[in-house]
Amino acid sequence: MAVEADFEQFVPPGLASLGIEADEVELAVMRAAHELYWSALAGMLEVNLSGVEPERDADMSRSPEAE
Amino acid sequence: MSLLDRPLAEQAEAVASGEAEPGELLDTALARIEERNGDVNAVVDTFPEHSREMLDAAPEGPLRGVPVVIKDEWPLPWRAERLGAADQLSPAAPGESGPYRALRDAGAVIAGVANMHEWGSSSTGNASVYGPARNPWNPERCPGGSSSGPGAAVGARIVAGAVGADGIGSIRYPAAYCGITGLKPTFGRSAMDGHHVRDTTTIVSGPMCSDAAGCRLLGSALFSEQLPAGDAGGLRIGVVRGPVSEDCAPAVREACEGAIEALRDETGGEVREIELEGLELSGLAAVVVGSSEGLGDIPPSRLNAISDQVGPVNRGLLKYRMLIPGPIVLKAGRVRTLMRRSLARAFADVDVIAWPTVPAGAPPLDKPVVELPSGTHSADAVNPRGGGLANLTGIPAVSVPVGFDGDGMPIALQLQGAWGSDALLLDAAEAIERATERRFVDALSPVAGGTGALT
Repeated sequence: MAVEADFEQFVPPGLASLGIEADEVELAVMRAAHELYWSALAGMLEVNLSGVEPERDADMSRSPEAE
Repeated sequence: MSLLDRPLAEQAEAVASGEAEPGELLDTALARIEERNGDVNAVVDTFPEHSREMLDAAPEGPLRGVPVVIKDEWPLPWRAERLGAADQLSPAAPGESGPYRALRDAGAVIAGVANMHEWGSSSTGNASVYGPARNPWNPERCPGGSSSGPGAAVGARIVAGAVGADGIGSIRYPAAYCGITGLKPTFGRSAMDGHHVRDTTTIVSGPMCSDAAGCRLLGSALFSEQLPAGDAGGLRIGVVRGPVSEDCAPAVREACEGAIEALRDETGGEVREIELEGLELSGLAAVVVGSSEGLGDIPPSRLNAISDQVGPVNRGLLKYRMLIPGPIVLKAGRVRTLMRRSLARAFADVDVIAWPTVPAGAPPLDKPVVELPSGTHSADAVNPRGGGLANLTGIPAVSVPVGFDGDGMPIALQLQGAWGSDALLLDAAEAIERATERRFVDALSPVAGGTGALT
């Protein structure tokens, strides 16, 4: 129920604020994606990673230790 | 046995030595597309005149006269990419992409363009404007995505080598599902010019071949540098406890654990249990980072004008991606940093990290879910758990066939290495081939004329 409430509060207003139109089928897809991913996304926000020092100008082709 | 059934490196050697006539090899490949493509829908476009022009102009390169296919993700001088979709979000036009130039300069002949999952958005390959590619081991099963056509084409032995692209596992999933070998290179090492996501930090081109030697040869072309061969002697193999290696179909877990032991024995190496702090977040973080790239180039007005010929799943998902809050994207970036540091520490103690490429064999095309000890899951929900880390952090990874499940579908082990260790990964893949007497890389799918799974 909480996820469903999140969807109604989050997705239709968000789309409207960006001027993005969506039909019923697209909204159904978004609802399914929201149910699948939103709890995990919100959970990731809760993880405390404040102790991880940012990697400045990260180069994905190299180890961070090489910088 | 036709030369086309032999691995890529053997085809190249046969042409170079004069044993084979490359014009005949190309004709055989084009005939085989006609003969077998109806079963797998792997190749979506052919252009015999351009292929013959490439052959006529081919330099004395390492792939001279060898036919390959390329994923519908890059432009060719005579054809714009379509990304497996009816509508493109950024302008597409014919041109000399990086992978095209790499193939041309190596002397390879592009025999066709290979299918892909619509907009590259799934690990299953079950949606495309051309209709889905099909798995050569069972055409009712997913070929894997998003490089579905390259996987199915090599698995059907239409060609022995193909160029794919990997943004969140998109080379390794179809390699695993189709029983072939696929290398996701270190980020930035392989040719990418002309790719539609210009600012990507996750996507790479890479080789998909019947065996590791083919990946070494085709990878060297894409890298524009030789990937030297070694023996992986004394290999230190890292394994991780947890869902990525344990929440798998029993046959997958058993085959991969057996392959790790075989790799250890073949290389005279050792297996070490390691911990990767933050691993449980890496798949989701990879999806968030990968899904965010390129979005800034898409104005809402363009989103509102997407053709209704694009599937509703992709239309809906793209619009949903536009709503992912900035703090979540930033947190995913912080997970990326955490994982890069975790890996740097791990690779001080081990040479490779091994776990199953995907947790279960290819699911049905019409219902892409997998049964795991933790329950029934969408394949797309669980595949990034093991496949996303390499894209998130930039490290290379290779998927190696190591068995078959009870349904006769291929099983694969993924090996990941430190940044720049692409050649070592192929050495390790070849060690597995030796240890298994090439049973799995040489096994022929039913579409390729085989009788089914070897166990």
